Amino acid sequence: MAETRINCLYDNCPIPLLKAMQQLKKMSVGDTLVIETDHSCAMVNFIEWTQKNSIPCEIVEVDNGEWEIILRKVK
Amino acid sequence: MLNNYFKEPWSYTTGAVVLAFLNTMLFIMVDKPWQITTGFTYWAAWIYQGLGGSPELWPYFAESSSRAQALTQGFFSNDLSLMDFGIIVGALLAVLLASQFKFKKIKSFKQFSAALLGGIIMGYGTRIAMGCNIGAFFSSIPSLSLGGWVFAVSAFLGAWVGGKVLIKYLL
Amino acid sequence: MQTLERRIVKQKKDQRPVFLLVLTLAVLLTLNLAAVNSRLALFWIFGLAFGFVLQKSRFCFAAALRDPFITGSTSLLRAVILALILMTITFPLIQYYGLIIGNGELLGFVRPVGIHTAAGGFLFGFGMVIAGGCATGTLMRVGEGFSMQMIALGGFLIGTLWGAWDYPRWETVFIKNSPTIHLPDILGWSGAVLLQIVTLGAIFYLAKKYDERNNIML
Repeated sequence: MAETRINCLYDNCPIPLLKAMQQLKKMSVGDTLVIETDHSCAMVNFIEWTQKNSIPCEIVEVDNGEWEIILRKVK
Repeated sequence: MLNNYFKEPWSYTTGAVVLAFLNTMLFIMVDKPWQITTGFTYWAAWIYQGLGGSPELWPYFAESSSRAQALTQGFFSNDLSLMDFGIIVGALLAVLLASQFKFKKIKSFKQFSAALLGGIIMGYGTRIAMGCNIGAFFSSIPSLSLGGWVFAVSAFLGAWVGGKVLIKYLL
Repeated sequence: MQTLERRIVKQKKDQRPVFLLVLTLAVLLTLNLAAVNSRLALFWIFGLAFGFVLQKSRFCFAAALRDPFITGSTSLLRAVILALILMTITFPLIQYYGLIIGNGELLGFVRPVGIHTAAGGFLFGFGMVIAGGCATGTLMRVGEGFSMQMIALGGFLIGTLWGAWDYPRWETVFIKNSPTIHLPDILGWSGAVLLQIVTLGAIFYLAKKYDERNNIML
């Protein structure tokens, strides 16, 4: 039940999603991945991609124009 | 609740319908559909003039009456320049309304180089293809121009190669 | 999903007063422009509207052409195709009206097509993926405060100037000898419109199938 954070601040689209894909592969089932991003397009990207792949996803706006995307590896 | 309404992004479909509507209205009102990069060329030429260059003597500008005339105008007195500037301010307004504006710094030298190089390559491409994703694609295909289709297929192939490079070197 | 531990959420600033300030400045500029030339004010207002809609709907032409390869998503591509289908109905009407009732000039962007179109398109497609946005995407993200896109815009300006300098060479070798092809000249107006809508519809359908089948995981 480990939690990994990846810092994607200032990263442009689609790098946050690509980094998350890479990181999720290394993790084990039940682990949590937190992606810190300030790219407004990433929200829409992540929502679509996690729904398609049935990955639980929650997005919190932590500051003006800054978000934390929380994913849980389930399979 | 109103605040949430401002924060919630519109769907891509909504965006598509509104952009198609705006482009059609622009076309009806000024006889020309939406374009971006000709305005960029004027910005660049004005800056170069400010630095002491004389782009107005180049065939690209001198041999076209509309371009030659544009170079005698300024940032706030040229229509295409104002439309491009409007996109920056329009996007800023949308972000401020959602209270989501944040100044984002450069992450690394790699990112800086990618942006600069990618920008230069795009800019050069738009002059020889006579337009960008908007002028040579989004406004060109609906104009029933074969060129719009050729541009779209080529840009798609370019994006495929660009994607490979992005994953290999920039991730 | 199970409740996640509480995140530290900072007290966010309400930026809407700044919105009102920028809006006021934009309106003042509109009034100033309208006093000089109403056409300038019109282009400025259209620019504002385009920028607002692009940001609000996160519309990104670079992603539309790039995501099918990178993430397997075609939702933006399909949105672009939808817009193209809608405009394939409106644009030919404007062109036809212009030709028959107007001064006989073909309106819209119909330009010589040849090697230069393909070469320029390829360079453009490559550049926009590397720079993180195409021309509209770059402008929109400059407005959002991305330094990276400010650099990309600087590069873009250098590139257009370079291209304008080199333009005569492309013109003599390729552009001058390339045909300008308006599809109704070959297929007739109704044929061109119908064929284009059917083609776009078919690409839309294939893109949807592709999206459903593809689960790209790096």
